[in-house]
Amino acid sequence: MSHLTIAMPKGRIFEEAYQMLIDAGFNLPEEVEMSRKLMIEIPEEQIRFILAKPTDVPVYVEHGVADLGIAGKDTLLELRRNVHELLDLKISQCYIASAGLPNTTMNEIAPRIATKYPNIAMNYYKEIGEQVEIIELNGSIELAPMIGLADRIVDIVSTGRTLKENGLVEYEHITDVSSRLIANPVSYRMKSARIQELVSRLKNIVS
Amino acid sequence: MSSIKMFEKPLGMRDTFPITYEKTEKVRQIGREFLHARGFDFIQTPSLEYFDTVGKASAIYDASLFKLVDSQGNTLVLRPDMTTPIARVATSKLLKEKIPLRLAYFANVFRAQQTEGGRPAEFGQMGIEIIGDGTVYADAEVIITVIHLIQAFGISSFKITIGHAGVLNCILKDYTESNEQAHTLRTLLVERNYVGFEEAVESFDLPKTKSDALLQFISEATSFVSIRDIEKYVRKNDSLEYMQQLMELIEVGGLSQYVALDFTLSSHMNYYTGMLFEVFAEGSGFALGNGGRYDGLLQHFGTEVGATGFGIRVDRLLEVIPSQPSSTQTIGIIFEEVLFTKALEMANSYREEGKRVTLQSRKGLVDEEAFAKHFDKIVYVNQEDVAE
Repeated sequence: MSHLTIAMPKGRIFEEAYQMLIDAGFNLPEEVEMSRKLMIEIPEEQIRFILAKPTDVPVYVEHGVADLGIAGKDTLLELRRNVHELLDLKISQCYIASAGLPNTTMNEIAPRIATKYPNIAMNYYKEIGEQVEIIELNGSIELAPMIGLADRIVDIVSTGRTLKENGLVEYEHITDVSSRLIANPVSYRMKSARIQELVSRLKNIVS
Repeated sequence: MSSIKMFEKPLGMRDTFPITYEKTEKVRQIGREFLHARGFDFIQTPSLEYFDTVGKASAIYDASLFKLVDSQGNTLVLRPDMTTPIARVATSKLLKEKIPLRLAYFANVFRAQQTEGGRPAEFGQMGIEIIGDGTVYADAEVIITVIHLIQAFGISSFKITIGHAGVLNCILKDYTESNEQAHTLRTLLVERNYVGFEEAVESFDLPKTKSDALLQFISEATSFVSIRDIEKYVRKNDSLEYMQQLMELIEVGGLSQYVALDFTLSSHMNYYTGMLFEVFAEGSGFALGNGGRYDGLLQHFGTEVGATGFGIRVDRLLEVIPSQPSSTQTIGIIFEEVLFTKALEMANSYREEGKRVTLQSRKGLVDEEAFAKHFDKIVYVNQEDVAE
């Protein structure tokens, strides 16, 4: 049996995905001590987990230092890494939308969009034939329209509560997001049997 | 923009240090002898080509081309691959002399990159092209050659995945309702987005038999063991028979264990008209190389003949090849100025024995101890020796 290295995002997604693997019949310890560890070895299953920042997971997988990974569709769309997208795990489901102050239209000359997803935002507005200027922010994106930095924001929405609390309304639904199982192209071939087996077992769990 | 520091190189450009240089030379030597012995003639083409000819015809994305302008105002490109220049030479000259042609190359190609490291913008490529032979035997020769070549490099854990553009097109056309749908699905396969493929199929609102067939195809497509497994998806056609024949030839060659079928294999370039394949090896996170039949490219240059070949990336090959320490003994001879004649004689006799000899005057040395560390053996030529 070939050894598998799986890159996992730290935090809530890790717990959900880990539980899915247990449900799929993988012999993993119920409790993992996650404090500051970045690597977890599971010798019984010949699996090693590496814990990464969610947006870094596709990077590890593309370079082949991890065979598989679990990454949000938002990250995949934004980074456009060369990885195989194998399975929609249907966890941490949400969507990407544009939002802004109520009853406003975009500036006609140079509409400004604040976002931490510059590529997704750029592609979306290109598709709908709108030339925009992107302002990249790393957090608290909702601030931008409130203090006049941007006309719209493009951000991830799960319940819509953050938008509401900051007096913003959603304008356009851009794309749905959920966590995906991704694979390195070489691992996908060289460890094909092992990966196919894992995919089909997880597929049965995904509701 | 910060100013450029003196030590910097353009993004993606790399220096080749002695260890890598030697390893590359070894690869070149093994590859050259191997391909030469199989009847392939090596050729070289210029580093610069016109954008309108080679640049436009190349399979490499426009954004990855290094472009410059010549004194007449024509746009030039640094060659981004070798297949396209070879197609140019072959159609304009070589094919008039001999057909089919068996050509080989070992050359650097250039691809600009916008993102991070780990991806050189200039790298070596080694490959072959068989031009003017449209038969399945030429494709079989390409695949058998690539397998034997990889083995010649001492690599044992590798895999070739083979698909066929004709078979895939047939499936996509038969089970969708419009060309746009087929195109969408093909694009998703180029990106290797299997999840997106399933979503797209569901969103098309196809008759249930069609969507079920597509979904089942995609879940099995990369794990077909034999060509018979795919027959239920495709009506009898030439492509399928072709693949059947190709697999039989590979089996005759005794190489079936290195080959896997993958009918989702697709290229963004439409000049891949027939079978196509990718080469993977343990030890690199990226594909080692790829190849296939590209009759369409020759048409682009105005000739209607078949062409097939492969290219392997030397930089990735170096990651994968097991490293072997050099067996040649290195000797450093350190001499006193007055004893140059004696030192030279000594060096020559060692060189005749096949040793690697460095001759160094003591006067020219700053740190003798540090210098000595670079050699298997150090010989001093000094007064005492003369006295003996």
